[in-house]
Amino acid sequence: MIKNYFKIALRNLWKHKAFSIINITGLSIGITACFFIFMYVGFELSYDNMHTKADRIYRLVTDIKTPTETINTGVTAWPFAPNIKTDFPEVEAFVRVSGGSFLVKKGNVKFQEEHSVFADSTFFKVFDFKLLKGDPKTALSEIATIVFSESAAKKYFGNTDPIGQTVLLTGDAIPAKVTGIMKDIPENSQIKADMIISMVSLTQKFNKDLDKSWGNFGASSYLLLKPGANAKNLEKQFPAFLERRNGDEERKQHMSYTLFLEPMKSVYLHSKRNGQESGSINNVYIFTIVAVFILLIACINFVNLTTARSVERAKEVGIRKVVGAEKGQLASQFIGESVVLCLIAFVLTIILSVLFLPLFNQLAGKTISAGIFSNWYYVVILLATSVAIGFIAGIYPALVLSSFKPISVLKGRFASTNKGNVLRKTLVIAQFTISIFLIIGTIIVYTQMSFMQNKDLGFTKDQMLILDTNGDPASNAFKEAITSIPGVKSTALSSSVPGGGNPGAYSEIENKKGDLQIANLDLYFVDWDYVNQFKIKMVAGRAFSREFGTDTAQAMLLNESAVKLFGYSSPQQAIGRRFKQWGREGKIVGVMKDFHFRSLQEVIKPLSMRIELKNINLVSAKISSQNTSATIAAIESKWKTFIPNRPFSYYFLDEFFDRQYRAEQRFGKLFLNFAVLAIFISCLGLLGLASYSTLQRTREIGIRKVLGASVPGIVNMLSKDFIILVIISFFIASPLAYLFMHGWLKDFAYRIDISWWIFAIAGILASIIALGTISFQAIRAAMSNPVKSLRSE
Amino acid sequence: MLSLQHISKYYQVSGLKNYVLNDLSLEVDEGEFISIMGPSGSGKSTLLNVIGMLDDPSDGYHYFAGHAVHQLKEKQRSALYKQYIGFVFQAYHLIDELTVYENIETPLIYQDFKSSERKAMVADILDKFNIVGKKDLFPAQLSGGQQQLVGIARALIAKPKMLLADEPTGNLNSKQGEEIMELFRKLNREDKVTIIQVTHSEKNAEYGTRIINLLDGKIASSKKL
Repeated sequence: MIKNYFKIALRNLWKHKAFSIINITGLSIGITACFFIFMYVGFELSYDNMHTKADRIYRLVTDIKTPTETINTGVTAWPFAPNIKTDFPEVEAFVRVSGGSFLVKKGNVKFQEEHSVFADSTFFKVFDFKLLKGDPKTALSEIATIVFSESAAKKYFGNTDPIGQTVLLTGDAIPAKVTGIMKDIPENSQIKADMIISMVSLTQKFNKDLDKSWGNFGASSYLLLKPGANAKNLEKQFPAFLERRNGDEERKQHMSYTLFLEPMKSVYLHSKRNGQESGSINNVYIFTIVAVFILLIACINFVNLTTARSVERAKEVGIRKVVGAEKGQLASQFIGESVVLCLIAFVLTIILSVLFLPLFNQLAGKTISAGIFSNWYYVVILLATSVAIGFIAGIYPALVLSSFKPISVLKGRFASTNKGNVLRKTLVIAQFTISIFLIIGTIIVYTQMSFMQNKDLGFTKDQMLILDTNGDPASNAFKEAITSIPGVKSTALSSSVPGGGNPGAYSEIENKKGDLQIANLDLYFVDWDYVNQFKIKMVAGRAFSREFGTDTAQAMLLNESAVKLFGYSSPQQAIGRRFKQWGREGKIVGVMKDFHFRSLQEVIKPLSMRIELKNINLVSAKISSQNTSATIAAIESKWKTFIPNRPFSYYFLDEFFDRQYRAEQRFGKLFLNFAVLAIFISCLGLLGLASYSTLQRTREIGIRKVLGASVPGIVNMLSKDFIILVIISFFIASPLAYLFMHGWLKDFAYRIDISWWIFAIAGILASIIALGTISFQAIRAAMSNPVKSLRSE
Repeated sequence: MLSLQHISKYYQVSGLKNYVLNDLSLEVDEGEFISIMGPSGSGKSTLLNVIGMLDDPSDGYHYFAGHAVHQLKEKQRSALYKQYIGFVFQAYHLIDELTVYENIETPLIYQDFKSSERKAMVADILDKFNIVGKKDLFPAQLSGGQQQLVGIARALIAKPKMLLADEPTGNLNSKQGEEIMELFRKLNREDKVTIIQVTHSEKNAEYGTRIINLLDGKIASSKKL
């Protein structure tokens, strides 16, 4: 019996090639897209699961309450974790990790190691990062010892054994001994490092005060609790702990700290605090929904096309019943057929997955999966999914087909029931609702992207070359030297550029009432040329100038947001007011117009600028757009003269600034791709449905033509039904999309308004696509010779 | 073998009962060859469908091979039907996607015959109907007469006691029709198959052992030949 079913299934698929191709392609594309998304979601959910003790590891984080605001940081001061370990017996171990970037030299080989961290000696005890060579217990316990990742070690030592060898950190300054080689940290770890330096190198050599600085925040701290310990209870005891250890100091500084514990596994997706790499649980939800949508669309196609074809299969059902088939036998035949079809789709899915995986990894921006065969269970999951879809999507058509009454289908013409039509229409509406929803979403994401990239940020970032000297003493001389290069228009020195990081400083600024008001202000260290260099506008007072000798010691610039913070109604009122900040006192000399020194997702924060040349590390050069490469070559040769110890590297500010939107761009791209897929699959289904409905109406079309109907008239008649469905979908999708995308836009402090034209475009686009799909069939039907269609009846 | 008592079949049209079969009673003995005649709309096909259990009567009692069909559940009825009845149609109704061989084999599949038995039975009937050479062809490759032969072969493959034929020669030319009728007669006489056929043709009706004339859902006349 199975053989008979199988044979007829294959013959049927072969006989109706167009139908089969539509169905199989739609299904495989749907399953592939869905599979990719689930791999992505699975990858995001797998972050930090590799640690066997992950359930007991917590990240210790601090809320810092200043007089003006509360900062939710993802870090702690250095003494917090060690003292907590001392005071609380339920803490088994702690690790502090603090990132940095180091110039590493071995003989002639030198690299800037961007992913360098300091970490406590317990690093390999708490986490499951695997040490391939060296002793995990002692590898990081001495000053100036380092552990390299396997691939980093290869850069310096090739195939020789690195253990016991010495490299030089920060140029020639510090020799450090290699005590371990670890397996490269996997991509789904929030802690990423190619080079780990023992924490004692930092706390006992580079900065001996750190272990006593209760107000210096910068260490990501992880606590390993003993089995059975309760994190919530521990958290409750932190206020008393801080009071005991540091209460007086906090009051003196007008600060108040609150400590929290975040489960390690939830940090990556759920924590809103900065710190290590972070993902977004919302994106995980959104893509899961999109995946389900796409699969749903593909399944709807399947159900629709199969029930639409029931007219053709009705006769077969009738005959089989007459020769003795029972309903159950017929139902299982049809479900079997749909499973066969899904198995073919499964084979195609495997092929598509292999072909498009590299593209998807690129889209996602990380290696989600090296290959679908690398995990055998991927293939099993795919197979199971395909069979399951075959079953589920096959049930309805099977029930419909197998319940036909033989006499009614065998007696002359059999008209498909109205009930089936209503269902099919509903399903088409569901498909197009989803598609239009995704189109609207895509348009909004892209409009917001383009808005962010084109918005006047209040400073100039074009043709701006940034060079990081890492605070080399020759920075100033280098800057003067490149200023004379013909292609360089102007230069400046600073600690920060827009889009990058900057310190936040404990500041006291005279407010409107004349009191010194405490605030945490963002701080840029700059030189005299900085404001001009970036074309930042002044709204009151003056920019720094070499004509005022006091500018290097007693002057500060604020931005408008800062001025507002201290209660001034106009920028002018702030000029000449006093400030105290990080050991310096003086007067406000100028107020800058607000500029976006962070991404447009954030509101512009209060910012202060001071001249302090010993704290600068960036040289910015505005260069001419002509002969860029010659100019850069000239800059490089100056670099080699002045800063020979460091490798030459540079970046352009506009690209650097836009990097902040990488996650959004990636999101937009993924969204676009899946929207296109959803539309494509929906249209495949529509194409199939349209061709069957025109087939069913062949006779009607013939009669109408004989009676004098025109070709456009018939095309119009055939298209109208479907276009109405698209219009209904549009009205369902629009409000849903509005609500949803409104929520998405809320993450951006500066955002577009969702205007009517976005919906108009989406609606028109969907209609055009649908019309194009249908009209092909409709025109063909309308052009056909009526004599033929009537005779065949 | 078959007994219909006071069988009625009607449709409700705007409150009025529209009778297709009206209080009809009929006894059929084993071995009979009955031809049902009558004008269009007299209820011939409906009567045949009721006898074949493809259609349920609205009223009345239906006994078949000792079973009270009107009391049977769907499943039991289907089992009874499978065992005793073969159907032949005017439009042949072969499955287009299956070959001649497979079309004939299909009923056996639903009656759970083993593969080897099926092979033997199909080979036997192909031989008997002289269509061995056609066994791998699809219905579309056959003439009408040949298709009807396959249809009859399929109806007879499971050795039913009763063959129901709804205008079996309606789509055939007179020579093909004659051959089919000869075949029916042979089946009836040699294999003792009870046959009930619906026909418009006087000539074909006379192959039977009894002719029943229907008019407005009632038996107008019945005559034994």
